[in-house]
Amino acid sequence: MDLKDMLGQSRGRRSLLQALGVAAVGISFGSLAACGKGEGKKLANGEEARLNFYNWDTYIGETTLDDFKTATGVDVTMDLFDSNDTLFAKFKAGNPGYDVIVPSNDFVERMIRADMLQPLDHAQIPNIKNIDPSFMNVDYDPGRKFSMPYTWLVLGIGYRKSKVKAKPDSWKVLFDSDEYKDRIAWLSEAGDMYRLYGKYLGKSVNALTPADIETISAMMIKQKPYVKKFHEDDGQDLLMKGDCDVVLEYNGDIAQVMTEDDDLDFVIPKEGSQFNSDTLAIPKGAPHPKNAHAFINYILDAEVDKKITETILFPTPNAAAKALMPDSYKNNPVIYPPADVLARCEYAKFNEKLQPLYEEAFTKVRAA
Amino acid sequence: MALFSRSPIAPLEYSRTLWMRLWVGAVMLFLYAPLIVLMIFSFNDSKRNVVWRGFTLKYYDKALNNDALIEALVNSLTIAALATIFSLILGAVAAVMLWRFRFPFKGAVDGTISLPIIVPEICMGVAFLMFFAKGLHWPTDLVWPLNLGAITIAHITFCFPFVTMVVRSRLASFNREQEEAAKDLGAGEWQMFRDVLIPHMRPALVAGALLSFTLSLDDFVITYFTSGPETITFPVKVYSMLRFSVTPEVNAASTILIILTVALTAIALKLQGVKAIAETH
Amino acid sequence: MAEQDWKANKRVFAAVSLPTLLWTLVFFVVPMAIVWFYSFGQNAGLNEIHVSGTLDNYKRATEWLYLGIFGKSFAVAALVTLICLIVGFPVAMAITFASEKWRPWLLLGIMLPFWTNLLVRTYALMILLGQQGYANKGLGALWGGASWVKTLVGLQPLPTWEPVPLLFNNFAVVFGLVYVHLPFMVLPLYAALDRLDRSLIEASLDLGAGHFRTILRIVVPLAAPGIVAGVMITLIPALGAYLTPDLMGGTDSQMIANVIERQFKKANDWPFGSALSFILIYAMFILIALQSMRRKAPEAS
Repeated sequence: MDLKDMLGQSRGRRSLLQALGVAAVGISFGSLAACGKGEGKKLANGEEARLNFYNWDTYIGETTLDDFKTATGVDVTMDLFDSNDTLFAKFKAGNPGYDVIVPSNDFVERMIRADMLQPLDHAQIPNIKNIDPSFMNVDYDPGRKFSMPYTWLVLGIGYRKSKVKAKPDSWKVLFDSDEYKDRIAWLSEAGDMYRLYGKYLGKSVNALTPADIETISAMMIKQKPYVKKFHEDDGQDLLMKGDCDVVLEYNGDIAQVMTEDDDLDFVIPKEGSQFNSDTLAIPKGAPHPKNAHAFINYILDAEVDKKITETILFPTPNAAAKALMPDSYKNNPVIYPPADVLARCEYAKFNEKLQPLYEEAFTKVRAA
Repeated sequence: MALFSRSPIAPLEYSRTLWMRLWVGAVMLFLYAPLIVLMIFSFNDSKRNVVWRGFTLKYYDKALNNDALIEALVNSLTIAALATIFSLILGAVAAVMLWRFRFPFKGAVDGTISLPIIVPEICMGVAFLMFFAKGLHWPTDLVWPLNLGAITIAHITFCFPFVTMVVRSRLASFNREQEEAAKDLGAGEWQMFRDVLIPHMRPALVAGALLSFTLSLDDFVITYFTSGPETITFPVKVYSMLRFSVTPEVNAASTILIILTVALTAIALKLQGVKAIAETH
Repeated sequence: MAEQDWKANKRVFAAVSLPTLLWTLVFFVVPMAIVWFYSFGQNAGLNEIHVSGTLDNYKRATEWLYLGIFGKSFAVAALVTLICLIVGFPVAMAITFASEKWRPWLLLGIMLPFWTNLLVRTYALMILLGQQGYANKGLGALWGGASWVKTLVGLQPLPTWEPVPLLFNNFAVVFGLVYVHLPFMVLPLYAALDRLDRSLIEASLDLGAGHFRTILRIVVPLAAPGIVAGVMITLIPALGAYLTPDLMGGTDSQMIANVIERQFKKANDWPFGSALSFILIYAMFILIALQSMRRKAPEAS
């Protein structure tokens, strides 16, 4: 029996916990003090000087929130979500207290239909004038009643120049050929995969039928042995590490790694592709709607959005901010592909009926 | 021979020690190789930790000045500590109940208590989301650490069955006559629990505490669904970075955490050691 | 002394049973009941679920497609558990027999890696295992060494080294899951082995049994309750793993937890996700209840 050393051990653990606890209390006093600041203070608009912002991580300028506080006195608390799906799932039980959220286009549509978003009052957002007009009237939110565009992205093929024979400018390379056996990565997002296959087959991303899904599934199962991985939107890492040579990815992600690795490039296939756009929106039940409007307006300011864009390096729909950016950014064909290429791209509409079908079909493809 | 010095050494013991040491060494290498990679990459001068691009300390600077990251870490450690304490109590008591008593529906009770281990995380996350949204509403704008209540409750619920399982397997080896003897000597129920049962359970309690702490510290899904504004934890922070791949900043923070843990433990054990020596002499 | 009847000592029974039973009831059974009701419902609109008592979700969940995935997940989890047991048993023994000075360090040594975030660790593991990763470089160097030795003794050199795919396949999933679940096996084993009567081992050795036989015949049976606990604690969470298969798996590495997760998130089909979850839960519940009954039987006789 070694009761004694077990005793010693448990005491060791306890002292460890105690030490951690002391550290925690010490740090928390700092954060408590920080939290207390915004409370009680009322702004001219009648709301307390606080705002709860629910954003993706590293998706804001380094000083944007502090600058906003200096400008308006409003304390912004930023929380993070990891995907549109979890965002939507969480809001199904009601708004847990957020004022501004950042859903992507199809989820804007989904959330409008689920009655989760609050209409925006354009009078409180004068900076709406900075938005590129082509982003103002979009199918997923006609007239921008519920959402303001924040960034946009387009799907395409990221590739390693030294490992491909020719520029992989067709979806065929990824979807219907064994040329790059075991060097291919797809997205794990079922809806995107089926829609892009639709593009390859010459259909609109929004015109797929259940019969098309069957056809596409058969094609996917045929192609699957040549595919290395269905990635969780980290295809740029697969490229950089040399695990894959042709991957399905967003232009912004590839643009970021291209600054570190000259051998990488990005192309939007000639059959056309799919747009995505992240937006700023106010969920129903937001505790500080006026601050939320002020915050959205602030972000749409040209100088502010320029600073944000410099940090996150995603294409911005803010024409005024884009004009302020250096040429190396504005004229980067990966971040801003030529207009004739973009003309062949579409936004995916949210389709309530097809979404579960995509999921089940893709589960079958994975299991095959 | 550090590993075997306590047991009397049989003729073959030495070779067995060597074999064991090699085995343990290999397992430790397996466990620590990724950590070493992680530590090395925390000095990597690249935004993403996939290819080595040169040495830098800037991510340590960034991590230490990132208030949100530190706040998330503190929240995580607080929740883990609270969840461990409560799980130990609930888990140990449940183990004693299942071990000592015969009662109706015992199989069903046993099964139900073990269930939180099997329920898929996402399913439990949704259950808690609905429970705290529609049933028991836990305000999240309370002062720290009360705002962490909902998350802590959820963590205790999925941690304590692990404690129960470990403690029960330990109690199976308890000699019930010891209990009888203690009673014959006039020990009350409480005294017996404290002086006979707890010492016997101690290794299992330590194991259970380590398990609970680990599980709680690492949980993302359930935490995500039970958190509200201002209750961000370290895993929630890290998972939300997934879209942009894990940055060296997180590696740097993890490295600091590892070193801190080792240092604190070393100090605790050292103090313990000094005390033990002082007591024996 | 066998198990006591609860009526014999009601006060103590209440003290040890009420806290946990109440907690389980309020914070587990009630929340899970909500999801259980969902499994008999269907989506009505985007965020409403109409509980109609339908069995369609269960019918769909027992289609061959999903049963196949259940079967595969179980096989993977069982394999992971077996490997953890084989790898972890000697480690648990080493901790048990270590000196007082070393034991806490060894225990912590096993646990420490797990206080680093799972995602961070998984990414680190992926750096190690990648096509151009260190594991492949190490193997390549060994291969080169072997080739060099062969030429040294005058044989044909080995063909050039081709990096082996260690990542994005089922091997990687098993490897990653073993990595994640090893302490779940070691700790219960340690808790059980610590109680072992050392004189039995010595006696066995004195009587001429080898170490291997002693472990197999004496140590393993005595540690049986710990092994059962370790197997349960490893097998069950491994069955519910979703992150490792997602990140480290290949195109056919999905496990049931991935499918369940996708129902709740991407497919927005909570009723079906609930039904899949509950099939898993029913199976485990039966397993645990059976085990509990089996345990009671020998004690009663």
